[in-house]
Amino acid sequence: MSALKCDHCLLTFPEKDAVYDETEGQKHIFCCNGCQGIYTLIHSEGLEDFYEKRKWKDAGVASALKRTMDIKPFTEHIRDVEGKKELDIFIEGIRCSSCVWLNEKILLRTAGIEYARVNYATHKAKIRWDPEVIGLEKIIRRILSVGYVPRPYCESEQFKARRAETRDLLVRFGTAGFLSSQLMIYTTALYAGYFQGIDKNLKLLFEVIAMFLTMPVLFYCGMPFIRNTLTGLRRLHFSMDSLITIGAGSAFIYSIYQMGIGGTVYFDTSAMIITLILLGRYIESTAKGRASETIERLAELSPKEARKIREIQDEPAGEAEFVPISAVRKGDLLQVIPGERIPLDGRVTSGESEVDEALITGESRPVSKRVGSEVVGGSVNLYGALTFEVTRTGRDTVLSGIIRAVEDAQARKPKIQILADRIVGYFVPAILLLTLATVAGYLIKGASIHSALMTGISVIVIACPCSLGLATPLAVLVFSTMASSKGLLIRNGGVVEHTSAITHLLFDKTGTITVGKPSLKELIVVDEDLRREKLLCIAASIESLSEHSIGRAITAASEGKPLPVSGFRAIPGKGIEGDINGSLVVIGNRTLMRERGVGSGVLRSFDNTVLRYEKGGDTVIYMAWEGKMRALFVVADVIREEAPGVIAELKSIGLTVIMVSGDNINTTASIAAAVGIDDAISETSPEGKKEVIAGLQASGRQVMMVGDGINDAPALTQSLVGVAMGRGADIAMESADAVLVRNDLRLIPYFVSLSRKSYSIIKQNIFWAFFYNVVAIPLAISGMLHPIMAAGAMAASSLLVVLNSLRIKRAE
Amino acid sequence: MWTLILLIVLSLILGLGAWLFFMWSARSGQYDDPEGPKYRMLDDDDEPLGKKKK
Repeated sequence: MSALKCDHCLLTFPEKDAVYDETEGQKHIFCCNGCQGIYTLIHSEGLEDFYEKRKWKDAGVASALKRTMDIKPFTEHIRDVEGKKELDIFIEGIRCSSCVWLNEKILLRTAGIEYARVNYATHKAKIRWDPEVIGLEKIIRRILSVGYVPRPYCESEQFKARRAETRDLLVRFGTAGFLSSQLMIYTTALYAGYFQGIDKNLKLLFEVIAMFLTMPVLFYCGMPFIRNTLTGLRRLHFSMDSLITIGAGSAFIYSIYQMGIGGTVYFDTSAMIITLILLGRYIESTAKGRASETIERLAELSPKEARKIREIQDEPAGEAEFVPISAVRKGDLLQVIPGERIPLDGRVTSGESEVDEALITGESRPVSKRVGSEVVGGSVNLYGALTFEVTRTGRDTVLSGIIRAVEDAQARKPKIQILADRIVGYFVPAILLLTLATVAGYLIKGASIHSALMTGISVIVIACPCSLGLATPLAVLVFSTMASSKGLLIRNGGVVEHTSAITHLLFDKTGTITVGKPSLKELIVVDEDLRREKLLCIAASIESLSEHSIGRAITAASEGKPLPVSGFRAIPGKGIEGDINGSLVVIGNRTLMRERGVGSGVLRSFDNTVLRYEKGGDTVIYMAWEGKMRALFVVADVIREEAPGVIAELKSIGLTVIMVSGDNINTTASIAAAVGIDDAISETSPEGKKEVIAGLQASGRQVMMVGDGINDAPALTQSLVGVAMGRGADIAMESADAVLVRNDLRLIPYFVSLSRKSYSIIKQNIFWAFFYNVVAIPLAISGMLHPIMAAGAMAASSLLVVLNSLRIKRAE
Repeated sequence: MWTLILLIVLSLILGLGAWLFFMWSARSGQYDDPEGPKYRMLDDDDEPLGKKKK
């Protein structure tokens, strides 16, 4: 059986499934009719350039094919613009610039659509159409037809507020930047005059202009800082903002006074402090905004209404009514018709259907649901009507769990930032004390009140470390830009610090060290009365209900028609079971067989055969029913080619590498030996993986976990840094701190070394930000502070922080 | 002296113009998609013959 590659989605697939097509003398091969359909559409619109332009080589398309879409969630967001309709939608499945291009072109060539533009960064499309020519449903179907999934785009109040804040910061920073650059012209002239002499009137003129340019910077652009200082002052709490306000404010007041007595002014210091800090805040704010979009998209998945089956005297009557989701209680019966989203978690009580859970679990194929199956809120019911009993509501649902996990991860602040904030908390009172001491010292020495005060203020001005606000955000920005250009998505700023502290690295086996696409290598028939095909068919029928990758290997190998299964149950870490024709079929590992009453003598008789395969790195699955062994399945997975090199590299930079797997000890050990991992932990359940990490953490180790499956999600959350493989389950990605967009393990050592480098640069930045100012303080106290020196120290430390942050780019 | 003042006023007016331009661009959402333009400029809009515009 040879494998072919689909011309559209680049998936490899067995030859027997191939769909052939010939357009204009060119032969094409597709993996399914869906891909052929998309190709034909793209071709007929003259947009084949897409295949030339696209930059991804990973296989797969968004799971949009032949999907029905409920347009109701979209309709509430439609706006009326001059008789036309306008709507913002989020397009899922966009992977590179050619996807944006294709979506825009396909929409613009649809009659009735007047405007279509997709934002490259947010994948949000703005579409305007003529309602008399085309309906929304057609537009949605048009996007679906090219293999992308449109989703309603709506912003929560919180998100809107954040966007408004970002724009507000941009306007403030832009204004401050513009005024500061104007200010520099006059300050430069004043500096030149300081050395070469300047006409008195001209000096005054320049100083007055400088003052008027500084005023808006301080009182408009710097208003957020002033406001925070005033609220902080009431609680005697000093923060970065109070330092900025005190520094910039005193420099401004001091300069006005100096202007009056003909001294030197510090207006530029005042303006520059605010400008630079605003830049830092703006960078931070945009980075945060990008991260919070994931939450928005997840939250959008939960429907706001449910079809509740009306009860008459506690007896369900067949009729259903729409109720708001908040009115649904545990135990209520809800109905879902095809194409609708399942509103809450529950257990099916009647009906049969297939459900798309791609967004929750990452499983791209529809999962079939029967009476007794669990359904997850947020997934889409595809074919038949289902009635289910609600088992979880509100904050307990799987979906809200995911949303909470993501929110928590993003709320975390880098510890070093917290440390810097704390230092500032002590630094400000210390400087104020020092100022008082200076003033007192001068007065005791017999200096005039005027000169003592002036020296005191100059201490405050020089002590304000304006590059401190840039130190962390700028380095984190360069870090995450570098990482994303290599295919590594960083989900929060704290990752830099955590990753640089890592001592232990845990790898999941299936899907991480191995490719994660196991195939059935051999089927050993134990019960000679049954045919191979029959055994395979029975196993495949049950495995088709499982999301485990091993199950997929068995399902893929079977060619027969699946048998009806009832009472399907997955036993995490052990296997699965289900009823076929009245007998309970158990498929799983040796432990499960023992538990389900297979004699230990029988099991022992296979041990040699099993051991031989397991020593070779294969996994052996047992199948039994009615207490009798029926067959053994040998499933093989391929080790990622880069794995041994990566493991060696990680060890060479001083990390302890451990592999965890739910698989048995022999298979795990042989895979571990093949890639050079000394420490392998086998037969661990999802919770077990989490406990392994917790155990290591209890003894003071810093653990990074790399995994891909739903079963890794608890471990990813538990670990200090969780890294998910990009083709893994969504829930795994949501619980991870970083995601490998390209499934290339070589990114892991790069990630570790980049984080180490970035973290040391952040530390240097914070050090230098303080250092310049602290060194200049004695000069200010001695009363020898030149305005040039003040400006120079500030510019030099800011420049140093910027240049130092850019050094991250040179990291290997 | 008058030349100098004239030039200063002129430079401030020019600066004000630049600032107003910035304010307009910020408010009209020009900074919302910093990624796009670098790709868009490479897209050719060459419509194949026989196709209706838009």
